[in-house]
Amino acid sequence: MTTTVTLAASMRGGTKDYGTGDAAVRALDGIDVDIAAAEFTAIMGPSGSGKSTLLHTLAGLDCLTAGDSWIGEQQISSLSEDKITQVRRDKIGFVFQAFNLIPSLSAKENITLPLDISGRDVDPAWFDEIIGILGLADRLTHLPAELSGGQQQRVAVARALVARPELIFADEPSGNLDSRSGAELLGFMRRAVKEFGQTIAMVTHDPSAASYSDRVLFLADGRIVDEMREPTADRVLDRMKQMGH
Amino acid sequence: MFRLAVKSVKHNPKRLVLTAVAVALGVALASATFTLTNALSGGFHQLFDEIYAGTDVIVEPAPTETEDDGDQFAAPDAVFTHADLAAVQAVDGVENAVGTIQVMGSVLPKDFEPTGDLMAAGGAPSQLFNWAGDPKLDQATLVEGSGPEADGQIVLDLDGAPRLGYEIGDMVSIATDTGVTELELVGLVRFGETNSLQGATLGYMTEADAATLAGSEDYQTISVVTADGVDKDQVASAISEVIPEGTRAITGEAKAAEQAEQLDDILQYVDIFAIAFALIALFVGSYIIVNTFRIIVTQRTREFGLLRAIGVSGRQLRTMILLEALVIAVVASTVGILLGYLGALGLSALVEALSGNIFGTVTLPWDALLWGYSLGALVTLVAALMPAIHASTISPMEALRESATESKKPLRMRNIVGGALTLLGVLAIVVGLYMDVAKPYVFVGAGAMVLVIGVTLLAAQVLVPLAYGLKAFLTRVFRVDGKLAANNIRREPRRSANTAAALMIGVMLLALVSTFTESLKSVVTDQFATSEADFFVLSTQGAIPPGAIDLLGSEDGVDFVTSTGVDQATYDGLGYSVASIDPATADLAYDYPNDPDFDGMDGGVFIDPVIQELGVEVGDQVALEGAEGSATLTVTGLYEREGDANFWVDEATGAELFGDYDILQAMVVLDDGVDPAAAEEQLTSALAEDFPLVVLSSPDQLAQFANQFIDLLLGVISAMLGAALIIAVLGVANTLLLSVTERTREIGLLRAVGVRRRSVRRMIRIESLVMAIFGTILGMILGVGLGVALVKALAEFGFTSVAIPWAWLGIYMVLAIIAGVVAAMSPARRAAKLDILQAIAFDG
Ligand SMILES: Nc1ncnc2c1ncn2[C@@H]1O[C@H](COP(=O)(O)OP(=O)(O)OP(=O)(O)O)[C@@H](O)[C@H]1O
Ligand SMILES: [Mg+2]
Repeated sequence: MTTTVTLAASMRGGTKDYGTGDAAVRALDGIDVDIAAAEFTAIMGPSGSGKSTLLHTLAGLDCLTAGDSWIGEQQISSLSEDKITQVRRDKIGFVFQAFNLIPSLSAKENITLPLDISGRDVDPAWFDEIIGILGLADRLTHLPAELSGGQQQRVAVARALVARPELIFADEPSGNLDSRSGAELLGFMRRAVKEFGQTIAMVTHDPSAASYSDRVLFLADGRIVDEMREPTADRVLDRMKQMGH
Repeated sequence: MFRLAVKSVKHNPKRLVLTAVAVALGVALASATFTLTNALSGGFHQLFDEIYAGTDVIVEPAPTETEDDGDQFAAPDAVFTHADLAAVQAVDGVENAVGTIQVMGSVLPKDFEPTGDLMAAGGAPSQLFNWAGDPKLDQATLVEGSGPEADGQIVLDLDGAPRLGYEIGDMVSIATDTGVTELELVGLVRFGETNSLQGATLGYMTEADAATLAGSEDYQTISVVTADGVDKDQVASAISEVIPEGTRAITGEAKAAEQAEQLDDILQYVDIFAIAFALIALFVGSYIIVNTFRIIVTQRTREFGLLRAIGVSGRQLRTMILLEALVIAVVASTVGILLGYLGALGLSALVEALSGNIFGTVTLPWDALLWGYSLGALVTLVAALMPAIHASTISPMEALRESATESKKPLRMRNIVGGALTLLGVLAIVVGLYMDVAKPYVFVGAGAMVLVIGVTLLAAQVLVPLAYGLKAFLTRVFRVDGKLAANNIRREPRRSANTAAALMIGVMLLALVSTFTESLKSVVTDQFATSEADFFVLSTQGAIPPGAIDLLGSEDGVDFVTSTGVDQATYDGLGYSVASIDPATADLAYDYPNDPDFDGMDGGVFIDPVIQELGVEVGDQVALEGAEGSATLTVTGLYEREGDANFWVDEATGAELFGDYDILQAMVVLDDGVDPAAAEEQLTSALAEDFPLVVLSSPDQLAQFANQFIDLLLGVISAMLGAALIIAVLGVANTLLLSVTERTREIGLLRAVGVRRRSVRRMIRIESLVMAIFGTILGMILGVGLGVALVKALAEFGFTSVAIPWAWLGIYMVLAIIAGVVAAMSPARRAAKLDILQAIAFDG
């Protein structure tokens, strides 16, 4: 590699402890990680290995016990709660495994919510493009309760994309979906990376989901144990088997 | 943010309905009162305008500072001689001036039979004048028959005559100080344009008849019509030059405005009274609002977490919830204002149907809007503040948690704050009641408020062990349903405590008022029981005529009659009340709290605690100045109860100060061995002919009457508190409804493992009952405690004994149980109806 990669997010010596005394759990144990811009990064590992924790601390949803983390150039581990909120608002999009949408808002309102909050205008062309690709055009006026699980996830992805954040974090976005809807969703996320230069970091359990990514990070006991470029489902599965998964 | 807030209110309006109803009820109370007092004020403005419409200038005694201007219908003293009238007529610019004689008397209904029943003999007052024959000055137009042109004739207003049963040609009986006079009804008149007399009867007779009945040829007022085109104010000041000292000339317009203003002052107190009760209702309502928003925030924790995750700041979240509260407040206040307006319309229509039109046009006044919206918005926002702050601290991580439950914060902080507030409240109340502070009611009021909040906070702690304790009992009686109900109460002690507290406040106020009134009743009963008098003499209209006292004193079997007059005198530049009594007989008839007995008065004066506190002692000299004269008297004794009269003098001194003073009360003591029942019949028939409005009443009857009146007072206050109580019951229902929603999954699970619908319903009902009974008991303890403290603090006013209203407490408990069952109805039905599969799949 000759060109220097732009980093969308990074962490140095990231440590996260939960609880105190006997009940103390070290969820992250001195992690160093870089998420390259315009890349699709997958994070894998056994249950309880710290994947979600890593995602949350990288995104500034939760704070580290020790170590530092950055979003782009911005060090966030030292920012105030209000500032972190602002960074999240302006630079980050989220897709969770479940409960992604505000029940009282329609699909369209949910999608434009981040823009409404920060008072930015919706780019209609971009909006239409996303909606078209995600196949949500005829579902925009529906409330979340009136959408299927897959549709809800797609709305969440649309919401994450519409504000053109620098970075999207997704925690098992296809976990609740059947394999076909899951594949559609992941395919779209990959397109967003390839065609629009979107940066995405995604936690997943599913080797075939990981195969959509450019790079897979393997976590075990709060540490990064391995990394794989240009993964395929089989290679990921093999690696997971080695880890005793 | 605003859009999000509105959306969220619209998305799930059901959970906010009861909250809105609570706010609306409180606001309606204020709005209805404002509308009614506004209409009443309008009605009286119209009346005053009409009274003075034709009169350009009024000449009348100048009002004095100490004068009691409460009675709008009382006739002033006659001060203008015929010479004064002639002088006024001679003033430049005066076209016509007529002297007015108002007769203190009452038109009796046709075939009136005195019954001795105080209630029946009362009724609206009569207004009797001499007839000027000029519609402008009389403010009355003849509509039927003829005017009272010859002595012995009278005209009545067209509503009053039929109400009292008279037709033209009948002889009308008029009771005055000196006896009953009969005049022939020769015509009917209409007052002003619409004859709106606020229920009074209006009559006119010749000047000679009026002078005879009034006992004086002098005029009380002089009404002046000015010549066309002259300046009325100028005429008024010109007239001022020629009239006696202590009287004044004022234009009709100014007079109408002055009277209306006085009335508005009184109505303002009614408004304040109503605002106080509306505030109580809204204070209770605020508990519901707090609870609702707490529960909503809990239920929406994940939603808020999500918003936080995508970049909404805590401040924005807080704003959003407060905006939601504002939306509810505006909607609820609007409903409340309209509700109050409709209620006022209904009430005024009812009053009009029952007793004639005393209201002007009923319109929605600005005050109602202003107070309605500001009270509604203020209470809702303040109540929503804590939950909103709580929501703003929700971390984005909450969005990712599986279940939404209120975090299990320990109650320690709550207990510390609650304990401190309780102590502070008690302290403030003690200071207010027992220390000599400037505004004791401020201390007591604020203390009670703080105490209530403190107890509410502590109640959560009390509930936990109580629920543990009840669990065994409930489990034994109701098995699993009982166990689950007890668990639920313990699970959310804050919420249960807040819910119970709303009811607690309502019951507390009821218990306080009933403790107070019960004690008052026992004091009154005691006082009358210790009286030696066989009868109390009362007049249903004004003072007791002296002739009636003389008549009673001369009857066979009567030992003596002792009378009391109360007037105002000036002492040291301020007005005080002076009672004139007969020292020789007063103590024989009644057990006055005096030291020594009145027969030790010796031409001097007794002073009450108010005067004693000014530093006046036995042996000092006090100078009193009455309407008719002044006297310097030696203080010869003490009167140990506050509130009756400040100074006590003998009849001779009374006459010196006040001339022929009004007798307000008299007592009859019979000879030994005379049968009171026979004597009552004998005396009543002796009075019937000349003094039909004077009634005899035995101490027992009077005590009963007073007690009825006190009960009425309790009834009125209870009714005003009704709004607060309804809100409290709504609060129980509201909390249960919301927690049923919250526990949807859990209830579904229970049903799935085989719990029957009936059991689910019973579980909710038990929860409701426990909260209702718990709140009621707390309220009773607080209310009786505060009531006892209040009664003790009022010992100076003669509150010698404390009575606990056991019967009322029993009734409140029964009502609480009913309320508990009623409040549980809808939530229990909803819980039992839940579809098992849907309930389990239910998400937040
Ligand atoms: N709020 C918390 N309090 C205490 N411990 C926690 C908390 N959140 C996570 N943990 C612990 O931290 C460790 C890492 O958790 P994390 O949620 O990151 O795992 P994960 O890799 O996402 O697992 P999964 O694949 O099951 O989602 C686990 O041992 C977990 O028990
Ligand atoms: Mg996880």
